[in-house]
Amino acid sequence: MRGGLRLRLMQLVSLRGALLFVALGGIIWLLIASGQLDPTAQLFGGASLDSQAIRAEIATFMPLGMLGMTLLTVLLSTGPSFHFSPTEVNLLFVGPFSRRDLIIYKFIAYAAGAALSATLIAPFAQSQTGSAFSAFTATFLTLLFVQLNSAAVGMAWQAFEGNRLARLKWPVTALVCAIALAAMIHAWAVPDRSISGLISDVRHSWIGTIILMPYIVFAELFLARAHFPDLALWAAIAILINVLLLRAVIKLDRRTSEFSLREDTRLSDRWERMKQGGSFWATERSEIPSIRSAPTLGGLGPIAWRQAIKAARNSSKLIVIFIVGAACAGPLSSMAGVSITGKHGLLMLYFFFGFSLPRTLICDFRGDLSRMETYKTLPIAPWRICLGQLVVQVLLSYVIALTMIVSLLLFEDSLGAPVALALAAFALPLTLLIYAVENTIFLLFPAKLVPMGRADFEFLGRSLIEFILKTVVILIAVALAIGVGVFTLLTLGSTLVLSGLASWVSLTLIAGLAMIVMQFAFRRFVVAEAFD
Amino acid sequence: MITVTNFSKHYKGFAAVKDLSFTVGPGQILGLVGPNGAGKTTTLRALCGIVPPTSGHLSIAGHDIVKAPIAAKKNLGYIPDDPRLFDTLTVWEHLAFTAAAYKVANFEEGAEALLQSFELSHKRDTLVHNLSRGMRQKVAIACAFLHDPKVILFDEPLTGLDPQGIRGIQQAIRERAESGAAIIISSHLLGLFETLCTHLMVLNLGECRRFGAMSDVLAEFGQSDSSSALESAYFAITQKRSDG
Repeated sequence: MRGGLRLRLMQLVSLRGALLFVALGGIIWLLIASGQLDPTAQLFGGASLDSQAIRAEIATFMPLGMLGMTLLTVLLSTGPSFHFSPTEVNLLFVGPFSRRDLIIYKFIAYAAGAALSATLIAPFAQSQTGSAFSAFTATFLTLLFVQLNSAAVGMAWQAFEGNRLARLKWPVTALVCAIALAAMIHAWAVPDRSISGLISDVRHSWIGTIILMPYIVFAELFLARAHFPDLALWAAIAILINVLLLRAVIKLDRRTSEFSLREDTRLSDRWERMKQGGSFWATERSEIPSIRSAPTLGGLGPIAWRQAIKAARNSSKLIVIFIVGAACAGPLSSMAGVSITGKHGLLMLYFFFGFSLPRTLICDFRGDLSRMETYKTLPIAPWRICLGQLVVQVLLSYVIALTMIVSLLLFEDSLGAPVALALAAFALPLTLLIYAVENTIFLLFPAKLVPMGRADFEFLGRSLIEFILKTVVILIAVALAIGVGVFTLLTLGSTLVLSGLASWVSLTLIAGLAMIVMQFAFRRFVVAEAFD
Repeated sequence: MITVTNFSKHYKGFAAVKDLSFTVGPGQILGLVGPNGAGKTTTLRALCGIVPPTSGHLSIAGHDIVKAPIAAKKNLGYIPDDPRLFDTLTVWEHLAFTAAAYKVANFEEGAEALLQSFELSHKRDTLVHNLSRGMRQKVAIACAFLHDPKVILFDEPLTGLDPQGIRGIQQAIRERAESGAAIIISSHLLGLFETLCTHLMVLNLGECRRFGAMSDVLAEFGQSDSSSALESAYFAITQKRSDG
């Protein structure tokens, strides 16, 4: 336990860790300060919704959502929730520690991470809960519950799995799903009934209340109106539930330790692949029919070919999820009555394409930190290597963007064909710019892709700083492109098409410039200095 | 042909290699030996363009690695101590990738021969992350040999190999040298140098302590009762300077 704590503190003690932590703290402070200045201002416009309606939705859907998560844990869980890395297995398992000590060590490490997550979430949730303290308490205790609950339920199921009755898992699941589906179809078909009404009825029925009792406690934490007695009472019950779950985990661990060890190894292999830029769901096959030859294309071919294979074998499920998600953007925004081309919608889109997607789907230099040596020895010009590395990544992101544009064109009334065409045209240079900047930052300041645990202050701080830096560059580029377009319109006084073309050419040139900077960063990347 | 002239490499004020000069001719095998941190890997990495030299000139088959990197790298095969292969490619796809990168036309026949000689034929469709360390080493060597380079650099080539693998690699290195390649091997295995190398260079703290033909070095230091001639030479050379 002390070792784990020391490790976290050591990250803070290093100059880089401390600087990034200060930056992270500053950003959190800014979020809180801006929230206090304008308590109605919310990032995604949540405050504009009726507060009473939100409370009703939390009371109804949060317990049901948590129950759903628990059931999914039973159905899909293949491993322990407290995961030990190979280093921890080699060092701690042979050390003078009991399994109980190790579980508590892991729990404390998780609690530290949960505290950090709660600190980040609290500024956004405080307008709902009434104060930052209550938002932090509710979030922190709920995060602990989610972890402990899934651990206890998963382990209980693993212990039960040898039983004959365990074979009924999938038939029972199918039966429950069929009943739920039938009920939903009934609710949809009958006038004056709705699916949300049906769910609300289930939640507020006496049987629903009994089944959902433990989960209702955590919903009430978010709904408590005063620190005392409401929050204090629910927090005390929540702490008690968490303590009982921790005890259950320690007891169940004795019966599942061998299984856990096997799963730890499997998970570690997957994490290792993730660190190399692979997906958690990458193929676990050992043999695959080989592609006989690679295209040359002046040296660009093999690099792009290799990244395309990586995307297909490592991230195909992820790509499908993103494309399906993008295709659903139009119908979903239409159903929710939220305009995705509005201010908040555009902000969400930028966050998705500028942060979430580049952090999840990785087929460029960022996944090749350990293979830079190979690229440096290839007889291929650096600019070709850089372009080859970006081609697949940019095209995949562009396909996702195009899917979303088409989906919005079909389902969103405010988006006409000319605007959709303009978006499709501008999306390509913008995507190239995003990944050129992303890779340039990575080549200048190479770092790991995944955090070392939840309380990796350096990683969190770095991610935020990178995102802000990237946003600044992109905003400047877009402002310049718009400026050129406006200048063209004012001086030539012609149609919007010509000024749009001028803007597009400007943005493409800026993306090209970013590629040149990226090539420079690749040239100056020194493998030995990055690793030794 | 490898030519190194007054090569130095500094890392943030620390001199990893100081004023190194040597040549390795076609058919010669130079053994690079020295304690940890002697500058062996830095020298090899500078020769293949991974790290830029702080000063000096490094030339591969007549091409300066800094001024004409593409031409130099076309003639170069490098096998690092821990080859980082592409996890999502199979063994055959690694050869296909190398062939495309080095523009090797009709590579299939050569690739088949290499797979056979390294006993990898049955693993052609295996994703490399499922291979053992020794197997991955063999894949890296097969890729390095595919474009028939004039210069081959090995960094700890026998790590993780089984006895059959070690014999196979030694044989392959000999054959490459006989066909005219200039080869450098960096290793801590002195026995490997005695059986394979024509020349020897002892590095310590980034400086060349001894460079010459293997026979000259062995003759100079002789053989003690308890150790081989090369072992005696190695300890005599490295300890002499350390004590001094």
